[in-house]
Amino acid sequence: MKRFCKLFCVVLFVFSIVSVAHAENEVRIGVIFPLTGSAASTGQVLLEGVKLATDIINNKYKLNMPLAATEGLPNLKGAKIKIIVADHQGKPEIGMAEAERLITQEKVVAIIGCYNSAITATASQAAERYGIPFLNDSSTSPTLTERGFKWFFRATPNDDLLSENFYNFLNDLKKKKNIKINSIALFSENTLFGADSVKFQQKYADKYGYTVNGTVLYPAKSTQLTSEIQKLKSYNSSIVLQTSYIADAILSMKTYRELNYAPDAILANNAGFNDPEFVKTLGNDANFIISREVWAKDLANVKPMIKTIADMFQKRTGKTMDGSSSRSFTAMIVLADAINRARSTEPEKIHKALLETDIKGSQLIVPWDGVKFDAKTHQNVLGKGIIVQVQNGEYYTVWPFNLATKEVVWPFPKWDKR
Amino acid sequence: MKNKLPVIAFLLFFCCLIFFPLVFKTPFPRHVLIMVFLYATMGIGWNIIGGYAGQVSFGNAAFFGVGAYSSAILLVHFGISPWVGMLVGVLLSALLAVIVGYPCFRLQGHYFAIATIAVGEIVMVAFLNWNFAGAAVGIYLPILEQSLKNFEFHTSKLPYYYIIVCIFLFALAVCYFMEKSRWGYYFRAIKNDPDGACSLGINIRKYKLYAFILSAVITSICGTFYAQYILYIHPSSTMDLMMSIQICIIVLIGGLGKLFGPVLGAIIFVPLTELTRVYLGSQGQGMDFIIYALIIMVIAIMRPQGLWGVFSREARGTR
Repeated sequence: MKRFCKLFCVVLFVFSIVSVAHAENEVRIGVIFPLTGSAASTGQVLLEGVKLATDIINNKYKLNMPLAATEGLPNLKGAKIKIIVADHQGKPEIGMAEAERLITQEKVVAIIGCYNSAITATASQAAERYGIPFLNDSSTSPTLTERGFKWFFRATPNDDLLSENFYNFLNDLKKKKNIKINSIALFSENTLFGADSVKFQQKYADKYGYTVNGTVLYPAKSTQLTSEIQKLKSYNSSIVLQTSYIADAILSMKTYRELNYAPDAILANNAGFNDPEFVKTLGNDANFIISREVWAKDLANVKPMIKTIADMFQKRTGKTMDGSSSRSFTAMIVLADAINRARSTEPEKIHKALLETDIKGSQLIVPWDGVKFDAKTHQNVLGKGIIVQVQNGEYYTVWPFNLATKEVVWPFPKWDKR
Repeated sequence: MKNKLPVIAFLLFFCCLIFFPLVFKTPFPRHVLIMVFLYATMGIGWNIIGGYAGQVSFGNAAFFGVGAYSSAILLVHFGISPWVGMLVGVLLSALLAVIVGYPCFRLQGHYFAIATIAVGEIVMVAFLNWNFAGAAVGIYLPILEQSLKNFEFHTSKLPYYYIIVCIFLFALAVCYFMEKSRWGYYFRAIKNDPDGACSLGINIRKYKLYAFILSAVITSICGTFYAQYILYIHPSSTMDLMMSIQICIIVLIGGLGKLFGPVLGAIIFVPLTELTRVYLGSQGQGMDFIIYALIIMVIAIMRPQGLWGVFSREARGTR
């Protein structure tokens, strides 16, 4: 019996969670990212993006960006932003529990997160329940903004929009260069990412009047793609829209070369084709691949602020800024701007201010036209992807044309004429 | 006096169950309590096949997933109450247990464990590619008016807590009566000496199958509860191999083949993971996992038979 008592004492001690006293003039914002688990390295980079943005808001910097020139939030008597970090480990139930904990115990006034779409789904449910604004920085699953939530906002463009970008690009190119496109073939791996992408690619091909000659799905982690690519070749399409992870992206490029298959263009759906390993492994054979992206370093040529921020990021963390950190950075700026305009930390007022958000593209470090949330879905309607092309082993922005640093090379040169 | 002590201990435990959430009023500790009893119940389910009958299963997450998906699919596509879905899930899980168990119980020892890993993964891959069940995107459960009938509560976690406690007590009762019954003795006989049990006329395959079905049914009910509690499910959150392993660890920490083993395991394991994460996880250096792993290693070395013995009379040599 004595031991039972001991056990219960231990359990009681474990359960007794002490809440911490909060300083007066600070605005507490919850940040939930995958800091451990399979997406840990991305989670760390995302967190660094938020931290850099917080530093810029809380201190004086000479940047053309909301809240950079002042210390803290001027409309809240210079209140500083304090971020409360939580780790969701890539598990939906932990994401939900952490959101609840941040709201009820840490008393955060808004939440940013969670990168993985599945966890954003459950964490934002918790925020919805408690009526706390939730700003999503980088989850692209279209379903998230279709749920009709009141408190959920998404800054990043979603997969739907990013797929549409391919066709905007092709249309713009047709106008500019007078090229001919007879038909499109879809080539993709067969898990969630690939299967979903093919769905959207098909949808927009129909919408923009492109014929899809055929679709080839291959098992992810394939070690042989010869027969699939022969089938692809037989469709005789001028464009291949490809969705692959890194290993199959490299394998497919080698097989294209072996089979001497060179359509007018290979349009890649990010992922494997934008992995640093891709160019490193293939060298010159990686050239002329066209891929979609959310961010690129060379955007600095058009928006010099990008270089300033990317250098600050590099100096602080020793890591290169990328599509993830640039978006988490932007989310923090957008949220702080809304709280500042709300002149209050009351959820209803922040909600109203978020809906009134209107940040110009020139004030952002991402290639969007700005930030403005749809009144109903709360999706940022001014979000935009970019298209990059590998030239001499480097990724250059080639579309939208006003952000481009290089002219697009079209068609894809034949393998023997390189 | 001899027989009264366990009864008093149990009544004390029961009172704690009822009054715990009145002590902890904020949602996070209540969430931790809910997870404790969810894992304890899954542990009890696993203990029947793994602890009593001695057949190590790494595929129990598949039953959890079937339970979660049955009720979710019926609710989303056909508008059928999750309570009915829970029963359907139970039936389907029992069926799956028969389909898997019938051929697999021909396998001996480790080979059964290996086969269950394969089965768990197959079920997960099947759901990953099944469009009707949302494939890899998963299922968002509709947010309905909160009521016991709809099995959804939005303003308070208290109803969820009492529901999982009821499920837990049900599982505990099943296990208790199983332990005392003929089945319980058969299971333990099969675990200790399959050949001996066989020579005494026990139909080994039949009783292994019974244990597997019981285990599947309890785990499946937990699956439905999880789906209704989180309101979003996808294959990797409901049928991951890691989940099967976690259930295993809980029982091993608590005490294999002991009625209260999984309960003790869950009471230690779940708050430990939650609290190490809350206080150490935000730095993102994996400190929480290091400490957590250390504690498990210490337990494994100091008390390989599980912690239950520390608190029970037999370990102290009193009879």
